Parts: sequence; C-alpha cells; structure tokens
Amino acid sequence: MRFGMGFQKPHLVIDMNSKNNLPPRWAERLIEMIAASHLREEILGDLHEMFQKRSARIGRIAAQWLYVLDLTLLIHPRLWRKETETVRPQYVTNILSKPNQIAMLRNYIKVAFRKLSRQKSYALINTVSLSLGIACALLIFTLVRYHLSFEDFHADKDRIYRVYSELHGEKITYSTGVPNPFGQALRTEHNVAQKVGRIAFLPSRVVSVNPQKKFKEDIAFADADFFDIFNFPLIHGESGDVLRDPNTALITEQMARKYFDTAEAVGKLLWIDDSLMVRVTGVLRNLPPNTDFRSQIFVPFDNLQDHSPWMVEKDWWMSVNKEMQCFVRLKPGATAASVNTKTLPAISDTHYDKEMAKYFRFKLQPLSDVHFNTALRGKTDKRNLRTFAWIGFFLVLTACVNFVNLATAQAVARSREIGVRKALGSQQGSLFWQFMTETSVIALVALIVAVALSYLALPYLNRLFEIQLSINPLLDKSLPAFLGVLLIVVIFCSGVYPGLILARLQPVVALKGKLTVQTPGGFSLRKGLVVAQFAISQLLIIGTLVITNQLRYSQQADMGFQKEAVVIVPVPDNQRTKINTLGSELSSLSGIEKVTFFDTPPASDAIGSTNIQFDTRPEPEKFSISIKAADDQYVPMFKIPLIAGRNLLPSDTIREYLLNETAVKALGLKTPDNALGKPATINGRRGTIVGVVKDFHFRSLRMAIEPLCLTTHSGVYSSCGIKINLSNMAATIGAMQAKWSKIYPSSIFTYRFLDEDIERFYKLDNMLLRLIQAFAAVAIFVGCLGLYGLVSFMAQQKTKEIGVRKVLGANVSDILWLFGKEFVQLLAIAFLLAAPLAWWAMEHWLSDFAYHINPGAGVFVLAIAATLLVAFFTVAFRSIKASMINPIKTLRSE
Amino acid sequence: MKGTQLGEFEEVVLLSIAMLYDDAYSVAVLEALNGSLGRPLSLGVVHRTMQRLEEKKFVISRFGEASAERGGRRKRLFTVTVAGEHALREARRVRDALWNGISETAFGH
Repeated sequence: MRFGMGFQKPHLVIDMNSKNNLPPRWAERLIEMIAASHLREEILGDLHEMFQKRSARIGRIAAQWLYVLDLTLLIHPRLWRKETETVRPQYVTNILSKPNQIAMLRNYIKVAFRKLSRQKSYALINTVSLSLGIACALLIFTLVRYHLSFEDFHADKDRIYRVYSELHGEKITYSTGVPNPFGQALRTEHNVAQKVGRIAFLPSRVVSVNPQKKFKEDIAFADADFFDIFNFPLIHGESGDVLRDPNTALITEQMARKYFDTAEAVGKLLWIDDSLMVRVTGVLRNLPPNTDFRSQIFVPFDNLQDHSPWMVEKDWWMSVNKEMQCFVRLKPGATAASVNTKTLPAISDTHYDKEMAKYFRFKLQPLSDVHFNTALRGKTDKRNLRTFAWIGFFLVLTACVNFVNLATAQAVARSREIGVRKALGSQQGSLFWQFMTETSVIALVALIVAVALSYLALPYLNRLFEIQLSINPLLDKSLPAFLGVLLIVVIFCSGVYPGLILARLQPVVALKGKLTVQTPGGFSLRKGLVVAQFAISQLLIIGTLVITNQLRYSQQADMGFQKEAVVIVPVPDNQRTKINTLGSELSSLSGIEKVTFFDTPPASDAIGSTNIQFDTRPEPEKFSISIKAADDQYVPMFKIPLIAGRNLLPSDTIREYLLNETAVKALGLKTPDNALGKPATINGRRGTIVGVVKDFHFRSLRMAIEPLCLTTHSGVYSSCGIKINLSNMAATIGAMQAKWSKIYPSSIFTYRFLDEDIERFYKLDNMLLRLIQAFAAVAIFVGCLGLYGLVSFMAQQKTKEIGVRKVLGANVSDILWLFGKEFVQLLAIAFLLAAPLAWWAMEHWLSDFAYHINPGAGVFVLAIAATLLVAFFTVAFRSIKASMINPIKTLRSE
Repeated sequence: MKGTQLGEFEEVVLLSIAMLYDDAYSVAVLEALNGSLGRPLSLGVVHRTMQRLEEKKFVISRFGEASAERGGRRKRLFTVTVAGEHALREARRVRDALWNGISETAFGH
C-alpha cells in the first residue's frame, strides 16, 4: 500500500485492478516539484491519462518508459514559469489599467502637503537632517571645486609646465626654483618650448609713491613671455610692450586704486625698496581667487640685476633659489615625457661637470599639479580634499538613512491609510509615486534650506581657510548640476525603500492595523543603517580627539627653548653700524630685557643647510647640517641649555661654532666634550667648535631634530628678537617702533610674537580640526535625529507590549532597558567597525609628525562613551514618554 | 504586432482545438494531431503551444471535470476566441490568395 497525497481521492473511484497500473511515483513527485502551481494539475492529469491508455495498449513497462520520456520532453522554462498577467480575463485588466501619472501629480502634491502638515515633527526632523547633510555636501563641493579650479583659466593649460629642480644628494630634495641662467639656456639651446617665462618672486618689499604712502607688497620680476603663457588680461595699456622695457611695471587694478586711487595708472611712478623706480605701463585685471600667483606688481626680469643682484649674480648654476622659477609652454608637438628624458638632462649635462650633472636634475611639473604638490610648496593636499569629499558623502548618507528609518517607522502609522487607498483601488505604482512625491517635497525644501545655510556658513569657511569661495549658480554652471544630481540621489536613496514597503502592504493586514514591518530583511537593513550611522559618528569623534590631542601636544610641547614674550622685528638693512645702533637703542628702553640679532628664530621652517668637514677628516661628512646665524645673545635669551663648552663670543671675525647634540652624534663622537676645541669647516668657512647645546626643535614637530650649528655672521642677520616685559607691552612696542623708524626711515615697522610664529606651523592642521569638528557635530546631531526616529518606531510597535509589561509590574527603568539593550548592541557593533578604521586613519595622519602622541585606549573609550551618552539621552527622551503612558490607554483600544 | 502572429504549428493546434470543440484538451489535441500529421509529437510541444496561444489570447481555458482515468485530476479545456478565429481566417485567406495566384503550369515539372 502506498499512500501518496495525490492518490487519496482516485483510490476511491478507480477499480482495484489499476492499483498496480500507476505511473512511477518519483516522476510525479518530480513534476510536483518543478511545475508551476497553475500547470501542475493538468500536466499530472494528462500524463496519467496517457499512461493509462498506453499501458492498456503496449504494457506497463513500456508505458512507464514513455512516461519518463514525455516528462523529459516537458522540461522547458514554460513548465516552471509563473502565470503571466495576460492570462487574466479581459475585464480585470480594464479596471487595473495604468493611471496617468502626470495627471495624478497634482493630487500627489496636494496629499503630500496634507501629510506633512499633519505630521509636523516627522517633516521637521527629516527636513532638518537632510538640509544639514546637503548643506555640508554643498560646502564641501564648493571647496573641492574651488581647489580643483586653480589655474584652469589659462589658454593651452595642458602644455604649461613649471620646471623644478631635483637635488640628488644623500637624499633627494626638491625645489620649485631653478638656477638663474636656466631659463635662458632652455630658451636658446633647445627647441621644445613655445614660450619660456622666468619669474622671481620677492616677498614683502616696500613699495611707495612718496615717503608717506608706502606699503609692504610681494613683487615679482617676470619676463614679458610670462604674460604670453598665462592669461592675466590687461585693462589699461598696450599688450604688445608690457615688461619689454626696463624700469616699467605692471600692476593690478587693486594696486592701482590702492596707490593712485584710480584704475588708470598708466604712466605713474612707483618706488620699490628705494633702489628701483618704475613706470606703470599697464594695469591688469584683478587676479582671480583661483590662482596661486599672488604678486600684484610685476617688474621686468632684467631689473633684478639692479634690485637684488645677489639673486642673479654671475650666471650662477650652482645654487637654486625656490623663488627663482621658470614656466614654459611647450610647442604643440612636444611631450612632457620627452622633455623630461631628453631636453632637461641635456641641459644638466652641458652646464655641469659629470659629478654635478648627477646632482642637479630638472623636471617638468604640470600646471595642474602646482596647487596640489606639497613637496613643491603646493598649498593644498589632495588627500585632504578626498577626506572632505568622503565626509560629505557620509553626511548625506546619514541624512538619507534617517529618512529611511523615520519613513519606515511612519509606515506603521500609515497602514490604515494605505489599506483604505488599496481597497479603493490604488495600485502599487501609484502609492509608490505618491510616497516619492512626499519625499521630493521634503528633499526640495531641505535643499532650499541647505542653500540658505551654506550662504550663511560661507563667510566663516572663507575666514577659516583665508580663501574666497562663492556660491554663485550663475557663474558656476556645475553647481546647479551638482544640486540637481544630489537632489535626485537623495530622493531615490531615501524614498525608494520606504516607498516600496508602503506600496507592498497587504490591504487586509494594513486595514486591521496589525502591521509589523518585521520582514527579516527589512528590519536588519534598518539595523545595519543605524550601525553605519553610529560608526560614522564614532570615526569622526575619534578623528577629532586625536587631532586635538596632537595639536595641543605640538603647541604646548617643550620646544627646548623659551618662546614666550619674545617679539621679532625685521631688520631691513644689516649694516653693522645700523645693527649696533638699533641694538643699543632698544636695550636702553625700560620694558626690554634682552636683544639679539639672527637670521632665523629658534623654530622656523626657513632654514638653510650645508655640508660640514670635521677636524682632520679628509672628506666632508655624508650628512648635511642646518645652519643658523645668530649673535652671542641668542643662546641666553632663548634659554637654550649649553651642555658642554661655552657660548659664542660677540666677535664676527673669529669663527666659532655651537653644535647641537644630534650633530655631535652624527659626527660619531662619544661625548659632547670630544667636539670642543676641534676645528670644522662649515659652509666653506673654517672655525672652532666651542660648545654643544642641548637639542631643541628648530622646526615644527613634524620633523625630527637634525644636526644644527650656530655661528655669528652679521652679514645675514635679518631679524631682531626682543625679550620684553609683558606688563607694559603696548607702550614698549610703541617706543620700539619710534627707535626703529628713526634708523630705518624708508621701511615699515612690523612685529610678531615668536609663539604665534610657532602656532602658524600648525595653521593648516587647526583649520582641518575645526572643519572636522563641525562635521562631527553635524554627523552626531543627524545620527541622533535618526535614532529618535527609530525609537519612535519601536515605541509604536511595542505599545501593547509595554502596556502588558506594566500591568505585570515592570517599572519605567525596566522598560527603558527594553529599548536600550538593542541600541547598546548596535553601538557595540558600530564600534567594532569604526575603531580599527579610525586607528588606521589616525596612525596614517600621525605618521606625518616625527614627534607625536600615541592614541591610547582612552581616546577610543571616550569616543564610545560619548556616543553611548548621546544615544542614551536620545533613546531615553523618547522611551520615557512611551513607558510613562498609562497601560489602560494602550490596552483598551483594540 | 508582436504576439498576434500565428506560427504554422500554432495554426495546426488551433485548428485541432476548433475541431474538437467541446472536448479540446491537451491529450485529445495530441491524439488528433498524431492522427492527422502522421508523426509522433510529444506532450510538451503541444502544451507549450497551447500556453502560447492562450498568451496571445487566441484561446481561453477553463477547468473541466476530474476523472478516474486522470488520477482524479481536472482537464484544462480550451475554446477558440474571436481573435483566434480571426487569426485562423486570416491565415487561410493568405493561403487561398496565394493558391489562387498559382497557375496550372507552375508545377509542370
């Protein structure tokens, strides 16, 4: 006896004889498995019928074989394909014909506004979080675009290059400059460049119309060809003859107004540093914000000979000054690769001997790279831009996540509405589009708010970065495009999932109000979203903490010298007599404790290095040594500890050297005392080592301490350090200015504090920190809104459960834990994701600093504690409300 | 228009359905075709063709009665629709028109 499901009925009707006369059971099972439900019955019936007929005719065994054969021939996609729509009788399809979506739009919009005005908190939370996200994205987009737009307005910009120098010493160093005869050599000896423009930048020169009207300006000495390469148009003057004649000048309109109160300055005269008088022959349109050329006064390159002969002294191939730069526009056929591999090495080979040709190598740097290559003094790191772009992306993402969370939570409350709509004949499509319309309305409002927010925030951003960003959709065509794309992406990211959930509700379930959106996939997706939000917040918090700690460490670390209460004043002219007068005049002032003259303050990024030959060793040392020129007051004033020997003597003629500990170690000496009294040749001058100072940070903490030597050399003193008494500072500085101006009447008195100088090392990092702090705050805030939404959703779902629990004696804290435990879990998962990522990113950032903190466990604990706290308050805020409700209210309504 | 074309085999099946009139179901159609075409056909081919005809709305189907012979399963009975009739008549018209255009001598080998 076999009892198959499909056999129970037939057994009763067919004669006993046919009981043995049945088709193979396994084959029937197989069909039951693979055939589509609407085909199963007829196919089984057909095969059965044929089997019966055949077995009567040709026997059971053959019929079974044929049964299997027929079965195999049945196998075809049509066998398991689902029933198609068209199988429906005609009248059904007529009713369900597609509504005209365009005609429905008015209705959709009307309903959307009704909904939103009914659910104000829902609309508000979504709008706020979306507009914050979009505003951040918009600002970041503007910032990134601004940086990417640098120097993009020059004709044939793809063929414009800057020549830079690679100095192959013990390690390769890079310089933006070239030796001064280089430009001329490239122009005359090789046929690859269409134009060669030499330019020398001289920062902070005094420019005057008359002795009363003088300012400090950055000026540039440039070839006429420079203005053929670059697109800086003239508004006054003849374009043919600019900078062709000596003693002429090009100035910008801004400069013209500053000095002459009119844009039409052609023919007027300007003094540069007392030494050079120039006649304005052209006025340039004001420089656009997106260029790194910031000089506003241009003088012919050949005038450099009169103004700063030291820069162009005797066609000097042996030195490279970073401000002496050379730009080229290649001929249309010439490629950068061939110039780099043939032309430029050929120049090295012709102008240097064999040894030196290996040391001086030249390369082309594309114009588009100038702004970004930090090794060559580029102002912006593309990595930072990339970080910002990611942050912007994440912020928009969190805002969308919020929307999804809140909207699906809202679906429960709306299930009755959906049920009624479906019962009245709404189709999935129209419900979906109705929801999308609602999303679009919110997103559009959020976008408008976001644009307004960005306008408000822009001045702060500009001040922070000292840039001139503007949001002007008329000027920048990509901005409306970006906003449009962002809007569509936001609408789809946030609308599609909840829209589908809503549209797919079963009307019967929905009308009963017994909806739980606990389809397994759906709910875990929402949890995943919350985890992602938490992770993003934690990542940003950890980043903020680490950067803050490192910057505090950098700025408060003991630099190894005293940096407080030191004012630095420039020395425009370092003639011995003038310096001595200045020194003694300043020392006589009451508020001044000490005065010292030097070329660079103890911590400075501008420091030269040279080679050293020690004692009787035949060869110069392999390492190079940084050199600071300073008088005998330097060491006592900055309280740099001497660990061996004595301080320098005031004399400028007897050459004496102070080394730092690192230099002593680099020389291979066991104790500092071994260096004392030994002769050394540093920078080509022979002298005696008289003392060793303790290591101090003579550059920013990014760099390790390297060998350093101090020596007196009044010819290069360019600054004066003054230790002042802070109690009566304003008066002291006033007095200082009076003394200073008497000695340097044609110059402009400026002063700065040493500790401000040191803070400036970390200016970019501080900017970065502020921005990341702001983004972290936005991310956390938006995350909280999302959390609030999710808790609301849970509270709504668990209304009855809470009621029952309360009736059974649970108190408020038990119910709080009911909500809390889930979020603690999610938070923990998020932390597991965020922590390694943050650790990796921060190690990467910190590796830039030679002296850095170690982000201990504390930072991570703090981050998780902070998110926990914020999450706790958000959850508690909503769930206390839910748990306080009198259970009678929730349980009574059924 | 896609879906309204009538293939050759579809035409034969549709004609059989019309011929069988009130008892047109797959096995009956299969037997009728086996008889008239004189070559063995598999049930699968007939099934799929009938499904296709239904999708093209040339036939509609309903369930018939269960019988012991079928192991208690119902048959699916097919009826030719107006569209199906039109398609058959159109196919025939085209053929007749072509036949009429053939001169006596065309096959005079």
